[in-house]
Amino acid sequence: MSEKDFAKAGDFTLADLMTVAAAREVNDHEVVFAGTGMPMVAIMLAQKTHAPNLKLIFEAGTFDGRPDVLPTSVGDPRCEDGASRASGLVEAFSIAQRGYVDLGFLGGAEVDEYGNVNTTVIGDYLNPDLRLTGSGGNPDINSFAKRTVFIMVHEPRRFTKNVSYITSPGWRVKKWPSGEFISRKELYGGAYRGGPSAVISTAGVFRFNEDTGRMYLDTYHPGKTPEEIKGMCQFDLDISRVSGETPLPTYDQLRIIHEVLDPEEIFLPKVKKA
Amino acid sequence: MLNTVSSKIKEVSKLKYKEKPFEYWGPTPDESRKIVVNKSHGLRDKRTTLKEAVAKYVKNGMNLGIGGFVNTRVPVAAVHEIIRKGVTDLTISMQSNSICTELLAGAMIVDPDRVSIKRVEMAWWGYEIIGIAPLFRYLTTNGIIEVDDYTNYGMSVRFKAAAMGIPFIPIRDHGGSDMELVNRGKMIECPFTKKNIYVVPACHPDLGIVNATASDMYGNARLFGALCTCPEIAMASNHTLLTTEQIIPTDSIRKYPNLTEIPYPAVDAVVEQPFASYPGACYGHYWFDMEHIKYFRSLGDEFRKTGNKEPLEKYYQEYVFGCETFDDYLDKIGYKTLKHLRKMDEGQPIII
Repeated sequence: MSEKDFAKAGDFTLADLMTVAAAREVNDHEVVFAGTGMPMVAIMLAQKTHAPNLKLIFEAGTFDGRPDVLPTSVGDPRCEDGASRASGLVEAFSIAQRGYVDLGFLGGAEVDEYGNVNTTVIGDYLNPDLRLTGSGGNPDINSFAKRTVFIMVHEPRRFTKNVSYITSPGWRVKKWPSGEFISRKELYGGAYRGGPSAVISTAGVFRFNEDTGRMYLDTYHPGKTPEEIKGMCQFDLDISRVSGETPLPTYDQLRIIHEVLDPEEIFLPKVKKA
Repeated sequence: MLNTVSSKIKEVSKLKYKEKPFEYWGPTPDESRKIVVNKSHGLRDKRTTLKEAVAKYVKNGMNLGIGGFVNTRVPVAAVHEIIRKGVTDLTISMQSNSICTELLAGAMIVDPDRVSIKRVEMAWWGYEIIGIAPLFRYLTTNGIIEVDDYTNYGMSVRFKAAAMGIPFIPIRDHGGSDMELVNRGKMIECPFTKKNIYVVPACHPDLGIVNATASDMYGNARLFGALCTCPEIAMASNHTLLTTEQIIPTDSIRKYPNLTEIPYPAVDAVVEQPFASYPGACYGHYWFDMEHIKYFRSLGDEFRKTGNKEPLEKYYQEYVFGCETFDDYLDKIGYKTLKHLRKMDEGQPIII
């Protein structure tokens, strides 16, 4: 088999497939705001393959870090290796607020059909069933970057009609002070940009209708069907624009993930073979 | 005995948050400015011990600003001493944290008469890849502490506004998020562009705790690696307790004045304490002790899941109450572990 061949079933995990799908969202020369975990592996994979000139910002304050070893968190001192600037959160996010960030990679516990994402609380905010970690930099990055990719576990309770709490606003949000749902562009005006461009879940890759802001299924992961995925959403998922199956990882990509970026399996487990 | 802890969250929930009259959760900008105006501004030797500094500046009902970011350059040594002294009715302000806030939360579970948190203004409380913060989840899901949610940038610019001596600051996010409904920021019409803009109130802690890479005896501090929000927190606070990995000669500070991230007037106490962020990391000095972080987290998780607080109590007996100083704690961790963590840092470049 050649390095460029697509891996055969059994040679890669679902996490590998998602990481490669996420890496595909990155273009060369872009400034990317990275979160911890799979997004960081995806971005560094892109950097080592098709996007060698991408620039990374880590929110604790680092610009264009080039760590050899994958940092374990965005506050990891390794984030500063090879960086062109080390500063603080105020500066890192100001670069984003000023408009210099192209892409943000984020996670979420719940998402609705307009891409509103919740990382704060399940249930009532003031009497929560489950309190989550909080906003962190999620809404900052989502409000400032040109586009945002969310990586999520796919369960019906997570792909919900109404998120318990909007941490990061999607394409249609509530207008102040009346509360009606209006488009984010209308709410923010020309000075604002960005918003979710894709959601990569454990079931497929989703994008958003340019006019309505509604989510549609773009590609389905191997072993899933569009109908099955529609059944895994509490809202009426648009499956009329499916472009096909999510492209599989190549052997080259798998080698970079598991031998170069994450050999100790901190983020992504290797395929266990008997 | 958690029900002895003061918390108003259940009553608050019957109100619409925004109908509550606005109040700063700590000193107002004017109160804070008055304190700063009236304190001594001279260059003086501020070196002291954690015990003395904590006894002097830590008061019940205070707003405690915590520096660092999640688990990097976090002021753990100061937190240990604060727990030993005890403080009740605490308001915590920070952007993102794990160990420091979980240590305070655990102390509250072990002995709420000694340490209690009333509320926290923050962006994020968790352990990154290791997992959620079990004690935060316990305290919030049971309505024991009140939370005011902002973003990381939101909290950072709230400290920045305070550091600049202004009462609020505009920011281009929070809008469209439910934070707009529940936090103490406000959407207003910009007087110049006539467009919506969110404004957040300045955040002045009564006491800021920050660990620096190096400082002179006056409190001129250098930070290497990510600055986090430490310079802003030091400037925003009525008083700042600075631990430093090492004291350096003031001649060195004056040779490279551009490297001073925290100016001496913003610092009230300087304590030389190597490994002051342990088990967190400190760029240029040592890496995280993941095993110890996971161990402490597992005790909190066990309490959250089973209600058994005995393992937590044992941890505090062994590592906090059973130690007179932070050095005693480091003794228990052992030289070999600390040496290994220094090696793991791989000699990140710092200028001393």
